[in-house]
Amino acid sequence: MTIRNSSLLIPLSFALGGCITASVENNREETTGLQAGETVVVMAKSYHQGNETEADYISCVEKALGSGSGKLNVIPGQNFVDNLFPWFEPRTAPADTKGLAALMSKPGVPAAVKRMGVRYVVWLDGGTERVTQGGSLSCAAGPGGGGCFGFAWWQDDADYEASIWDLADSEAAGTVTADYSGTSFLPALVVPIPLIARTQSKACNGLAKQLKTFLSSTEKV
Amino acid sequence: MILLSILAAGCASNVAVETPTIPTPNVEKLPMDVAVRIPAEFEHFVHEEKVLGRETWTIDLGSANASFFEQLFGFMFDNVIMLGPDDNALDFTFDALIEPQIEGFEFSVPNQTKTDAFAVWIRYRLQIFDSVGNSASTWTVSAYGKSQKEGLGGSKSLQRAAVLAMRDAAALILLQMDKATKIGALADGPLVLSDIESPASASADSEFKPAVPAGIFAIGGIDDDT
Repeated sequence: MTIRNSSLLIPLSFALGGCITASVENNREETTGLQAGETVVVMAKSYHQGNETEADYISCVEKALGSGSGKLNVIPGQNFVDNLFPWFEPRTAPADTKGLAALMSKPGVPAAVKRMGVRYVVWLDGGTERVTQGGSLSCAAGPGGGGCFGFAWWQDDADYEASIWDLADSEAAGTVTADYSGTSFLPALVVPIPLIARTQSKACNGLAKQLKTFLSSTEKV
Repeated sequence: MILLSILAAGCASNVAVETPTIPTPNVEKLPMDVAVRIPAEFEHFVHEEKVLGRETWTIDLGSANASFFEQLFGFMFDNVIMLGPDDNALDFTFDALIEPQIEGFEFSVPNQTKTDAFAVWIRYRLQIFDSVGNSASTWTVSAYGKSQKEGLGGSKSLQRAAVLAMRDAAALILLQMDKATKIGALADGPLVLSDIESPASASADSEFKPAVPAGIFAIGGIDDDT
């Protein structure tokens, strides 16, 4: 009977999850749009400038942009950096679009960009952090069995900003921001029932969805 | 006993750094013949450090540095001759000789920085001589690499941070070396007498009779115009 109850609780807890509040906004500075054969690259802002964006978040956005409805042609960031070595290394990548215009005049750079068909560079900045947590949970086990009792909770905030550069005219096309806040709960009465808020994952999908719309749209500024 | 040995092993981490592969750079080669003298310490560079109250880390760069500089200078100059520590430079013909050294190696682990990242700093010192053995310049390059923690141990992350630091050095050297050291000017011949100061203060341990640096000294960093 216990086993049957537990097996019901696990999918139930995943179905319930924690609670998440979300805000996704974009600020357009230039008309965008992608022609056939044009690609997008997703990069983390330089850690030389103190950026802490997680590698798995970058991969998630890359994957989300390149799949599902309205998917874009995305080339792997490392491939782009290697092809443009040494101009897009954490130390040498242009910090703003003024530097981008200068970079596009360097020998070999325009040819490499054209070869890869890269139209937009999406620079990701930000991160997910645990802002608060509380409660208490204790587990014990003995010869007759074991169990957990208590209640724990925590809140994660995921704040990311994507700056989009248009390589065709070396200008900033705009920014998309995603601010997600998720609270997870872990009540336990013999069996812990995790109600997890997938804050970072939701922030990834939310940002990617908005980026797809932003980049594909031909809306005039 | 087995438990003890497992616990002891848990307090020490060994990281062997593999040679990083530098992508073909989008820069023009300098039209000159260069000799690169790899010091003996390069082949056996091991950094060992006990993180306060925690485990001991041993980072073995092994031959990674020598291979790294061979690749890098191969991309930068028309012709590169690699000299061993025992080779007499005067037996070879070249426009300039470069002798890289590791001046410093530091790292940090997540416990120290309260982040999820491993970081590595490597400080290289490149000493440049002209074709007759005068010391032309000395350049210090400070490189930094950071990698997020993956898995339980962190050895792979630290290894990756070290490789990223070497790649960071490569990018800086490719873009700034000629500007910082004026090595390209040595293609026109050795330094003229007026550029060389008194040999009295020359490095005593050098086999290549260097004079003092000819007033060219720059610290690593990248200019705005790159």
